[in-house]
Amino acid sequence: MDVANQSRLLLKAKRAKPTRLQQEGRIGLLFLAPWLIGFVLLKALPILAALVFSLTDFQMLSPEATTFVGLENYIRFFRDNEAGASLFGSLEYFLLTVPLEMILALVLAAIFTSERLKNKSLSQTLIFMTSIIPSTSIFFIFLGSLQYAQRLILTPLNLPPIEGNGLLLPFMAIWSIGPGFLILYSAMQSVPNEMYEAARVDGAGPLARFIYITLPMVSPAIFFTLVINLTGAFGGAVLLDRGYILNFSLSPMENYINSTMFLEADLGYASALAWITFAVMMGLTLILFWSARRWVYFPSEDRENEI
Amino acid sequence: MKSNRNPGRKRDSSTLTKRLWDFTGTAMLNLFMLLFLVAYLSPLPFMVIASLTPRDQFLNPNAPILPSERVKFNYEGKDLIVYEVPTEEGIRHLALYKPSRKSSLFIDPKNPQAGPILWEGPWRTLKSVYYFKPTLDNFKDFLSIAKIPLYFRNTIIVALISEVGVLLSSIAVAYGFSRFRIPGIKYIFFLLIATIMIPSNITLVPTYYLYSGHMLNWIGTWLPLIVPHFFGSAVLIFLLRQNFKSIPRDLDEAAMLDGAGPLRILISVILPQSIPVVTTVALLHFFYIWNETRLSSLYLGIAPNLQLVSFAVQRNQTYFFTPEALMVGALVVMVVPVIVLFLSQRFFMKDMIVTQLEK
Repeated sequence: MDVANQSRLLLKAKRAKPTRLQQEGRIGLLFLAPWLIGFVLLKALPILAALVFSLTDFQMLSPEATTFVGLENYIRFFRDNEAGASLFGSLEYFLLTVPLEMILALVLAAIFTSERLKNKSLSQTLIFMTSIIPSTSIFFIFLGSLQYAQRLILTPLNLPPIEGNGLLLPFMAIWSIGPGFLILYSAMQSVPNEMYEAARVDGAGPLARFIYITLPMVSPAIFFTLVINLTGAFGGAVLLDRGYILNFSLSPMENYINSTMFLEADLGYASALAWITFAVMMGLTLILFWSARRWVYFPSEDRENEI
Repeated sequence: MKSNRNPGRKRDSSTLTKRLWDFTGTAMLNLFMLLFLVAYLSPLPFMVIASLTPRDQFLNPNAPILPSERVKFNYEGKDLIVYEVPTEEGIRHLALYKPSRKSSLFIDPKNPQAGPILWEGPWRTLKSVYYFKPTLDNFKDFLSIAKIPLYFRNTIIVALISEVGVLLSSIAVAYGFSRFRIPGIKYIFFLLIATIMIPSNITLVPTYYLYSGHMLNWIGTWLPLIVPHFFGSAVLIFLLRQNFKSIPRDLDEAAMLDGAGPLRILISVILPQSIPVVTTVALLHFFYIWNETRLSSLYLGIAPNLQLVSFAVQRNQTYFFTPEALMVGALVVMVVPVIVLFLSQRFFMKDMIVTQLEK
C-alpha cells in the first residue's frame, strides 16, 4: 500500500466516524443552509456590486460613461459638510428617540404581564395600531389634531399656541413603539412562571421581581431592539416600514443617501456614503455587542459563543 | 386570590387589608392604562372625523370641526345659504337672497312671506350656519378606485405564501445559530448582522438587475416579493435566535438522551416554549408585507393586476393630497392588520406556553 492510498483510507475512516463535534457542526450548517444559500444567490452579488459602484462615478442616467475613480468618492465624503451633518443627525435621532421609545415599551410590556390588567387584547391592539398608520397620513393626523387642540382647548383658555415642529419627532417615536412593545412583551411572556413564584416565596416585591428577574431574562430582546433601532436610525433594516413616499425616511443619513441616489442620480457617491454609514453603524454595533457580554443574560454554558 | 374572595370564610383584618391593597393596586393599574391609552390615542379622533368630512369643508377656516353641511333654505326654487346675521334683535339666521358688496337682501327662513330683509354690510364677512352631517362619500370615492378588492386579495396571497417561507426558514436558521457548535459561527453571525445594516436602497440597482430580463426575468411577477423570504429574513432570524438562546439547554439534553434528533428537539422542545416570539415574528412579517411599497412599485409597476394594496393606496394618497383622502386611505389599509392583530392575541397568553414542569 502506498502513502496516497493509506491517506485515502484514513480520510474514509474519518468521514465514516466523524467526532460528535463535527457531526454537530454539519447538522448545524444544514439548518443554516437556507440563509447561507439565499445570501450567496440573492445578497452577495448586489452587495459586491454596490462595493464596486462606490469606486466609480456611476451615473444612473448615463451608465455607459462610467469610469473607475478609486477612492475619490470616499475622499469626497470628508469634504462634504452636509454628509457629516446627516451622519451626526442620525446619531442624534437615535439618542433622542430610542431611549424614549424603549423605556415606554418596557414599562408597557411590564404592565401587560400583570394579571390584574383587564382587556389586554383590546389595549394591545390599540397600542400597536398606530405603528401601522402610513407615514403620509401621520403628518396630517399630527398637524390636524394640533389644530383641533388649538381651536377646542388652547384658544378658549387663552393659552399660547403649541409649537408643533419640535414635537413631531417624539410623537412619531411614541407612535412607533408597536414592534418594540410586541417583542418585549413576548419575551416577558416566555419567562417561566416558576421563577416569579420562587422569588415571591423569597419575599421579593413587584419592583424587585422586575429588576432581578424580568430585566435579565428579557435582556436578549432588549439588546435586539437596541441594535435594530440603531440600524433603523442610520438607514438599515427597520422592523416596520411605514411606506414613505419618495423614499422619505425619518433617518437623516438615509434621506441624504436617497437624495444623492434618486435626485442627483449619483449612484457611485451614494454607494460610498452607504459604505461609510455601514462602517460607522458596524463600529457602534460592535461596541454594543462587546458591552452585551456584561448585561445580556443567556443561560447557556459555552461563553465563547455568547452574545 | 380567589380563596380570599370566598364569602363563607371568616376574614381577619390582615386579609382585609390585603384585599383592599389588591383592589387599589388593580384599580390604579387599570386607571393608569386607561389614561395612557386616552392620551396615546388622542390624535386618532382627527382621523375618523376627517374621513367623514365633506371635501370642501377643509377649505373653509370658519367651518366647524365636526363633519357638517351648510344649512340651506329653498326659496322660489333656489337653494339659499343661511348665514348668521347680526341685527338689532341679536344674531338671526337668515338666507342670503340677493348678495351685493355693501348691502344685501336676506330672507327669514321662519317667515318667508315677510319678503326680503335689507342688511347693510359686506355679506362675505358673515359666517354660514352648519348642521352636523357625516358623509360616507369619501369612502365610496376611495373604494370606487379600480380594483381595490383585487389589491386586497393580492396582498393577502403574497403575505400568506411568503409567511410560510419566512417562518420555516427563519426558525430553522435561528435554531442553527442558537444551538450548534459550528466552526466560525461567530463570523457567519456577523455576516448576518452586516446584511441588516446595509441600506436596502444601495443594493436596489444591482438587485433590480438580478431580477430583470438580463438574469432571472422576474419583473412583473410576485416572485421578487416572495422568493427572498424563503431564504429567511435576517432581522427575524436575529430576533428568534435571541429568544432560542435564552431557553435553558437542560430540556434539549434531556430530549437528546431520550433519543430525539435535532429536528425533533426543535419541534417539540424549542417551539412550544417560543409561541409568543414566533407569533411576533409572524405578525411582523405580515405587517411588513402589508406596508410594503418600495418593492411593489419597482417590480409590479408593469403588472397593474398584481399590485398590492398599500402601494395602490399610497399612489392614490399622493395623487389626491387632501386630508380626507389621506385619512380614508389610512383607515382602509389599517382594517385588516388590526383584525389580524386582535385575533392573534390569544397566542400571547401565558397558558399557551408549555412550561418546563409540564414537559
